[in-house]
Amino acid sequence: MNNRRIPPRLKRWIFIWTPVVWIVLALLLFPKDRPVSSGFVHVMGGFVDKRIASYPAWTLWLAAIALVVVGVLGLRAHKKSFRMQLTVLAMGIVAAVWGSAQMGFTQFTLGGRGSSYSWFFQTVLLVLAAVLVWFWGTDHAERAELMVWNTREVWRIYRANWQGIVGLVILLFFSAMALLAPFLVNHAWVSANAAITPHSPFSPPSFHNYLLWFGSDESGLSVFAEFVWSSRISLFVGILATIITTVVGTGAGIFTGYYAGWIGELGMRIVDVFLVLPWLPFAMVLAAAWGQNYAIIILIIAFTSWAGTARLVRAQVLSVKEEPFVERARAIGSGDAHIMRKHILPNVMPLVFANAVLTVAIAVFSETTLSFLGLGDPLNFSWGTMLEHVFDQGATTVPSATAYLFAPGIAVVLIVLAFNLIGAAFDEVIDPKLRKREHSSGQSRFTEAITAPDTAAD
Amino acid sequence: MDKRRYFTKKILNTLLTIILVAGFNFMLFRVLPGNPARLLLPKGHFTAAALAQQKKVFHLDRPLWEQFGYYWVDTVEGHFGDSYAQKQPVTQVVGRAIVPTLVLVGTGTLFATIIGVVVGVFAGWRRNQAFDITATNLGMILYSMPTFWVSMLFILYFSVKLGWFPSGRMMEVGVTYSSFVSKAGAFLRHLFLPAFSFAITYMAEYELIMRSSIISVMKEDFTLTARAKGASESRVLWSHVAPNAMLPSVTLVMMNFGFVLSGAILVETVFNWPGLGLLSFTSMQQRDYPVMQAVFLLASVAVILCNLIADVMYYYLDPRVKA
Repeated sequence: MNNRRIPPRLKRWIFIWTPVVWIVLALLLFPKDRPVSSGFVHVMGGFVDKRIASYPAWTLWLAAIALVVVGVLGLRAHKKSFRMQLTVLAMGIVAAVWGSAQMGFTQFTLGGRGSSYSWFFQTVLLVLAAVLVWFWGTDHAERAELMVWNTREVWRIYRANWQGIVGLVILLFFSAMALLAPFLVNHAWVSANAAITPHSPFSPPSFHNYLLWFGSDESGLSVFAEFVWSSRISLFVGILATIITTVVGTGAGIFTGYYAGWIGELGMRIVDVFLVLPWLPFAMVLAAAWGQNYAIIILIIAFTSWAGTARLVRAQVLSVKEEPFVERARAIGSGDAHIMRKHILPNVMPLVFANAVLTVAIAVFSETTLSFLGLGDPLNFSWGTMLEHVFDQGATTVPSATAYLFAPGIAVVLIVLAFNLIGAAFDEVIDPKLRKREHSSGQSRFTEAITAPDTAAD
Repeated sequence: MDKRRYFTKKILNTLLTIILVAGFNFMLFRVLPGNPARLLLPKGHFTAAALAQQKKVFHLDRPLWEQFGYYWVDTVEGHFGDSYAQKQPVTQVVGRAIVPTLVLVGTGTLFATIIGVVVGVFAGWRRNQAFDITATNLGMILYSMPTFWVSMLFILYFSVKLGWFPSGRMMEVGVTYSSFVSKAGAFLRHLFLPAFSFAITYMAEYELIMRSSIISVMKEDFTLTARAKGASESRVLWSHVAPNAMLPSVTLVMMNFGFVLSGAILVETVFNWPGLGLLSFTSMQQRDYPVMQAVFLLASVAVILCNLIADVMYYYLDPRVKA
């Protein structure tokens, strides 16, 4: 706190990323019937539409409670500077007001979704979050400086890996497609409502009409529209399932690794059971018993994959907790919770992150597989659902439907490949031994190839 | 660790895991959300007497803790009730499907292991040369392909366009073959496409693993020693590097073999192959829970046993475990 100046680069990042996050959040629930062709004013009106940020009220209440608790605990613990804690508290209060607005102020419904001001509350919360980061950067200038330096260093090493860059480009392409879907194609072409007149079934691809770029499907709807809108579900399910998997798996891994006695041993037996469960039959049983929608698919994927993360993290924790700094922390009287949070977690974080990227690949794969087997949500398309329709309609043998079979399949391959490449690149960032060359060395892949069999110097 | 203690520990662990998994199987069909009577009883119109009969078979008329006891007795004795869809004992229905699946995944695993390991050895040996760059990047792409999509592509190209292979089933329906040879030939023609599509993902996985394992073994001192004493390049590769690099692949192959049902479900569904995979898919569609319960238990036990075999093989292949 002796140096109360925010690192200039962090300041710049806040100014760049806050609008980006705002746009991304707005696009997530953007009205589905306003493509660019419907006129500029109509499209822009979408940004203040009732549907923007219309999250169910219970998520907002949950966030409000969490923020208020964190804020109050922070106020009790810290005596010197209140502004970060007060900002958190303010965010909690805004979230609570937003939650009430979603329910309509007068009645109590946890699933309430209707409010014309949701976009405004979301903006206020986002600005408060940016302010919070600003305060953090000012109050902990050295730590912020270090974080900025670390991030740039990671990016410097990452950038040197051309495969990682290829993965990133593919990912950005599909993310842009997913986010901009409302601007590209009217969702009516997927849901077949009265706003459109279908083409004839299995029309061949045509270059002149963008709706027919990939031909039409068995009911004359646009395969291109389905392809674009499917990317949203595939990515969304993959990322959300990964977040749950990673949080649960990391928690379980740290817990069973840190408490190595009989508690950890018992935990590991449970993890073992989940490791040997054959995931696809298991998912089929659950989906058959619980029904078909994406919340369940996300839960199933998380349920079947957290154990792998847990085992990986546990192995790392077992070695980290023998480090001298943990001994030292214990010697000066730190509690278990403090050690796990401040010493163990930061040390397993890079591994967790690299593993999470690979988990997204597995999750997208699993989602496609489950949807292909007909366990997906019949109302929302994903690439797996498209492939299911191709298979069920026997479209494999229809010559004009070739693009219908290829488009979703290639998209899945590219997305999974992208996450695998990014994951491998992050492995290199974490483990210097894997790096082929340093960015500055100026050695090309081909000069290295000549000395390849002699790898003693690697 | 001495041999007996190592194996005793592994076997005890395996037994414990099997018991836990079987308990989980019980929970999955009776305790998890959803009425057990709804899950384990057939849909549609049934007389009250038939329902009571079904309830009796699964002891659903008893309290939960008694059901748990009966569940163990039934499982050990092999009473899984009757399949609703096929009106036959579950053991018969499942038993019929085991051999086709084993043939399919056995052939597929053989393809995957041989091709994957050989390509991986050469790629790792000639690291960063044209062959390695091609093989590794191709491997990454193949590894990202959904099995069912590959199967559909194969059907589109090899059976619809070229007409080389049939697009499904294990045998033609209603065809009688003159001799055993022509019958076997027809069977192999039916087997090729499913087995190969099953193998694609695993092939890529083994290739990538084998390559990185070769690269790390080549840094070991004994490789340098072999070179220093004047062994030829091919001798260094095949007698010193490759055998030591096989370890991770061997255990991986074995552990993957436990999980084959997951891959088999997809391939068998697309190719209409009458094995366990197709059985679990159809029984899921028909909500045939007794069959699903048995298949799920069988699949879990297969994984656990394959893990045990992998551990045992590791013990004999890797001298370091014994020390």
